[in-house]
Amino acid sequence: MSARTRSRGRQVSTLLDDILAPGRLSVVFQPIFEMGAVPPSLFALECLVRGPHGTNAERPDVLFDYVRRKEAECVVDRACIATALAEASRLPGKPRLSLNVHALTLDRDPGFRDFLLKQASRVGIDPRRLIIEIVEATPPRLGGPSFRRALAELREAGITIALDDVGLGQSNYKMILDVRPEIYKLDRYLVANAWSDSHRLVILDSLARMVRRLEARAVAEGVENRDELVAVEAAGIDLVQGFLLARPLARLGLLEAGYLSGAPATFPS
Amino acid sequence: MDSKPGRLLIVDDEAAIRLALGEYFRRRGWTVDSAAEKEEAEALLACTEYAVVIADLRLTGIYGVEGLDVVRWSHHLRPETRVVLLTGNGTPEIEAEARRRGADAFLHKPLPLRQLEAVVASLVWAAS
Repeated sequence: MSARTRSRGRQVSTLLDDILAPGRLSVVFQPIFEMGAVPPSLFALECLVRGPHGTNAERPDVLFDYVRRKEAECVVDRACIATALAEASRLPGKPRLSLNVHALTLDRDPGFRDFLLKQASRVGIDPRRLIIEIVEATPPRLGGPSFRRALAELREAGITIALDDVGLGQSNYKMILDVRPEIYKLDRYLVANAWSDSHRLVILDSLARMVRRLEARAVAEGVENRDELVAVEAAGIDLVQGFLLARPLARLGLLEAGYLSGAPATFPS
Repeated sequence: MDSKPGRLLIVDDEAAIRLALGEYFRRRGWTVDSAAEKEEAEALLACTEYAVVIADLRLTGIYGVEGLDVVRWSHHLRPETRVVLLTGNGTPEIEAEARRRGADAFLHKPLPLRQLEAVVASLVWAAS
């Protein structure tokens, strides 16, 4: 695919060209902690890809909004996966790695599973360490044979399936039934100020019960203060991600913070 | 300028124009973002609140009218954002369409930067 466009007789390099150029993407890691353990332990690292430095796509919200408008989800998801796995392979230990992938990619890219396994093998990562975190921002026409086949192929390879942004946008009950994830990532919108909002508390509690009955795990996303942590733990959610516990960090920052060798000293009690 | 500078988005496929306009408005206190493509501009508009958008009509060639889409998207997302559409060869029909989609000003290039600045200032002042 060429993202070049001809403008007034000149070849113009687009932002998409820049995103897909070798070495232009970068990755940061945000830990997800298991709070049930004493002390809390690292459950997984979410790999968050950032666009080229110095461009508008350095902002992840702009990067992925742009990619969807260019209808380039499949090719960019592959580039993000390759970048994230290569960087993650340089981390010590064998943490679980959560990788974001558009639902559209699973539906439209028949070679995605093979690509993922090849990239993981190339850098020495066991696919059973991988969590594919499905994101979807556009109204999907999913649930069909190609989407179901993609999910089955990933599971056959030992990969865990998570659904991102549950409770918001397209991550609704239809998506839950289509994906049937092992991990539900409850969106920050449900978590924010939950302690002082009885409606949020009830919804969090209901979702947590539903996830347990489905024999899956729930992650509370975007926990930013102790009151929110108390609220999600009161709802029985023991997997937690958010600025209160750890901000996204580049590989070296992650090592310095000590997250890979157990909970750091600064961890909230 | 009487109005207080805020955040401004420049949309033009010509890098030199983005650079020149960006530098001009930055020096006058504006926080400036720029985009070369319609999709890049629309992504920025979806993720950022702008006081003013200055967009070229043609973003992909001499026949394009992608600037009209930027105008419509901006107006749809945030009607209070003031939008200036620039063109080198716009017709009265295109100007009418631009205004129908929410453009606050339709200016013909080339024009002095001070004139563009005055238009922006008057739009921001009128909106405040």
